[in-house]
Amino acid sequence: MTFFNKKENRIHAALAILLSVINIYIIITLKPPNQAQGIFGNIFYIHVPIAWSAFLLYFAVMVCGIFFLIKKSIIWDHRGLAFAEIGTIFMFLVLTTGPIWAKPAWGHYWPWEPRLTTSLILFLIFLGYFMLREFGGNPEQVSRFAAVVGILAFLDVPLIFLSVKFWLPEMQSHPQVGQYFDSASPTPTYLVLYSFLSLLVIASLMIRFRINILTMKDEE
Amino acid sequence: MLLHLILKDLKIEMRSKEIIASMFIFGLSVTLIFALAFQVAPVMIHTFAPGLLWVVILFTSVLGLNRLFSLEREEHALWSWVTAPVDRGLVYIAKVISALIFVLISVILFIIPFFIFLNLPTEFSFFQFGLILLLGTGSIVSIGCLISGITLQAGLRDVLIPILLFPSASPVAIAATKCTGFLFENKPLTTWNFWLLILASFFVIFSLFGYLVFNKIVEE
Repeated sequence: MTFFNKKENRIHAALAILLSVINIYIIITLKPPNQAQGIFGNIFYIHVPIAWSAFLLYFAVMVCGIFFLIKKSIIWDHRGLAFAEIGTIFMFLVLTTGPIWAKPAWGHYWPWEPRLTTSLILFLIFLGYFMLREFGGNPEQVSRFAAVVGILAFLDVPLIFLSVKFWLPEMQSHPQVGQYFDSASPTPTYLVLYSFLSLLVIASLMIRFRINILTMKDEE
Repeated sequence: MLLHLILKDLKIEMRSKEIIASMFIFGLSVTLIFALAFQVAPVMIHTFAPGLLWVVILFTSVLGLNRLFSLEREEHALWSWVTAPVDRGLVYIAKVISALIFVLISVILFIIPFFIFLNLPTEFSFFQFGLILLLGTGSIVSIGCLISGITLQAGLRDVLIPILLFPSASPVAIAATKCTGFLFENKPLTTWNFWLLILASFFVIFSLFGYLVFNKIVEE
């Protein structure tokens, strides 16, 4: 049975499409908060929520890895792989939208900003994760290895972030984020949260779809 | 038993001398290439020297780890290695210690020509330099042994080790380079102890993590 034959999955997909269309419409038509950055300033409403989702997904990879190592049930391996795949897609989007925003904001595409650099390093570790999945040996072992790498990657995050943050002390962490989170006008905060929510709905749909395929492959 | 596992590696190395010799010669060759490539700007080389040193150490460590774990694959040694009547975590700790010994010996061997070829100043605290080398290589080796264990039976192991190791060890690369840089400039320890702390925490976190998960990695 295919994924979209089920009613709840169709509703999930429709909800994801509806929320993201509204999200994109709001972001495009919104008045830019910063005249100097122009319309590029609005990429904040997509870049930051994507980054949150990506880190959340990678965190979920670690959680799935821990559960897989303890319970040894294949479903946790499928979940871990699905989270890793979708997380990497999101991380790729972070690494694309980051430079697009950095150019008008800082004047160059790659500012070695701590969060962006942490994202790049995590993205690279996860490319290695997929290489390992593909070429790591027999499938049963590879699941265990991948779980370990998934945990390792997230354990590394605080250390990477700290070391990159103080590596270039003159590089401030997102200097213009403050202007969006202003207590006087809470609209941007709500918009970011709404965007985050719509991205989570998309991500969860993609993950469920992936887990469905992986489970079906297993049953064959 | 831990001692036996370490002595086993040391004894094999005493007889063949292949790991330390290959690491030393490789380190020397890379140093030569760096010295030739940066010959045009002797002033700049002092700025770059800490980074170059850690690039060489990272590369030689990969070479050494690859050889050290290959020992376990030859003549079905893996079987007797994992059936050693001890906790697998101890097997990992033994590997970390023997790898640390090998890497440190080869680093000490090629660091003398490194300083001579690059005409680096030597007026700094040797005790602090030793501490940085110990913590830096310890960090690289702790995560490196974990990754080598994961890729032990992988088809693409020669490629997978650096692919997974380099991004994961990026905090080590940053922190060790910073430490060495401050040391070469004769800055007091209080101004850069933060970086030593990063190295130490990396070492502790990944040694503990390896100790905990190694029995999941080499399960038969």
